[in-house]
Amino acid sequence: MTALVLADQDPIPGAQRTGLVESSRPIREECIDPITLQLTNVGKVFDQLEAIRSISLSVAKGEFVSLLGPSGCGKSTLLMMIGGLIAPTSGDIIIEGGKVLRPRADVGVVFQTPTLLPWRSVLDNVLLPVEFLKLPRKDFIDRAHSLLKMVKLEDFAGALPRQLSGGMRQRVSICRALINDPSTLLMDEPFSALDAFTRDEMSVDLLRIWQTYRKTIIFVTHSIREAVFLSDRIFVLGKRPATVIEEVDVELPRPRCLEMMEENGFNQYVRHLRRSIEAGHA
Amino acid sequence: MSAIFAAASRLAMHDEKGNAFDGLYAPTAIVVLMLAIWEVLVRALHVNSVILPPPSEIMETLIERRGLLIDHLSSSLILIGSGLILSVVGGVSVAIAFTFSRRLREGVYPLLIISQVVPKVAIAPLFIVWFGTGTLPCLLLGFLIAFFPMTINSVLGFQSVDEESYRMARAFMGSKWQIFWKVQFPNALPYMFSGMKISLTLVIIGDVVSEFVASQEGIGYLIKLAGGLLDTPLMMAAITALSLSGLILYWIISKIERRFVYWQVDPDSIVGVGN
Repeated sequence: MTALVLADQDPIPGAQRTGLVESSRPIREECIDPITLQLTNVGKVFDQLEAIRSISLSVAKGEFVSLLGPSGCGKSTLLMMIGGLIAPTSGDIIIEGGKVLRPRADVGVVFQTPTLLPWRSVLDNVLLPVEFLKLPRKDFIDRAHSLLKMVKLEDFAGALPRQLSGGMRQRVSICRALINDPSTLLMDEPFSALDAFTRDEMSVDLLRIWQTYRKTIIFVTHSIREAVFLSDRIFVLGKRPATVIEEVDVELPRPRCLEMMEENGFNQYVRHLRRSIEAGHA
Repeated sequence: MSAIFAAASRLAMHDEKGNAFDGLYAPTAIVVLMLAIWEVLVRALHVNSVILPPPSEIMETLIERRGLLIDHLSSSLILIGSGLILSVVGGVSVAIAFTFSRRLREGVYPLLIISQVVPKVAIAPLFIVWFGTGTLPCLLLGFLIAFFPMTINSVLGFQSVDEESYRMARAFMGSKWQIFWKVQFPNALPYMFSGMKISLTLVIIGDVVSEFVASQEGIGYLIKLAGGLLDTPLMMAAITALSLSGLILYWIISKIERRFVYWQVDPDSIVGVGN
């Protein structure tokens, strides 16, 4: 694994740090436990077909990490294992000190498709996890409204999903994942079904949400530009079986805006990652 | 029969302006035209009223003998209504049991499907042997014949939840029971209503057939009786009254369906929303 630069969330552009031992990664000061997610030699075999081989990585609290790789490389499977929806064949996944054996209340998931329930209003869809967790609904209604406001859907609380566009539906599903204030958000190519314009817009919105609510985000994508734009750190996954072929720290200043995508620094990362992926699949 | 109703209501519902009756103008005009031709032909050719009474005479009979017709019709409608309710409750309950018990589903469901090769109206005389004449065999036959589409449609509805919704519900920690009530059950509602529409037409058939053989009252009995007396106008008036009642019941179910299955596309309420 190589790291280009190591700068975690540093508000001062150009502030360089060196050294790369995962456990001693510089983290925001307010975090007591730096590592929130730890994967150790995680592997998955489907009917003798090895999908994922020995992936080890750790993610710090509040970090935005992307798993980048081409379609069908097993990155979604890896994410579903972190979410406790698929059991790994080997290795351990630890979140907040506990081994992941099933879905957890402190992990929210945003899927590739919004998967909203068509008979529920936007507000009721957002509150679905609250109902599943048997928490009092009324305690979360204000939060649901403020989350919807955050994604500019405050006027659509009573609308049905079919009245919304694809991008709006996916924003509702982000609110749903955040409703019970989980510490970690898992996102499985959440913008891949959207058009390019909506996609960019959603990326900006997501960064705003991330900065407001201070979540750890694990973001799966096959878009290099999306990964560079969003992430603190990118794990490049190789194909069949998936392994981490490179780990890249993205040292671009935050807050990030879409204009940065035209800058040289941004494109250097994109070029580097493209070569890395091509080399990994040659 | 139900297919015709469905086609008619679809025509009515999918009309652009959303006025439920706009789409019915043309079919109504055709029916009126056909009745007129019938009337004219029967009168012009002096057809005996025992063979084919003109529509005007059927109409007359409907009005003149409405007391008799309403008596028999109401006793039939009570049976039809209770048979339908029984089949809905029974069918949905069995479907829920199949959803929760794999053993039951694998053991009983195939048998239930195979049992459908038995034409249920053929069992009507057997029901007289078992339960005597009267309302009970009529109710049971109606239930027996209408139960199956309710069950099979509900099972289909419970099972047709897509994999992604299940995964979403599991990710947000829904229990099996929660997933059933919050995901599978609402998902099955449209299927249940199509089952109900099929069941309605079947329960009417079951009821009328059992009244032919096992009852001293009801519209089926009246039709048979009128046939025996060669009172064709009364027979056709009874058939007309029964058909109209069926149509009204179908319309009521459609109305309830619109109320409960509010999320499915309904041309009145689509809001064009950009991103």
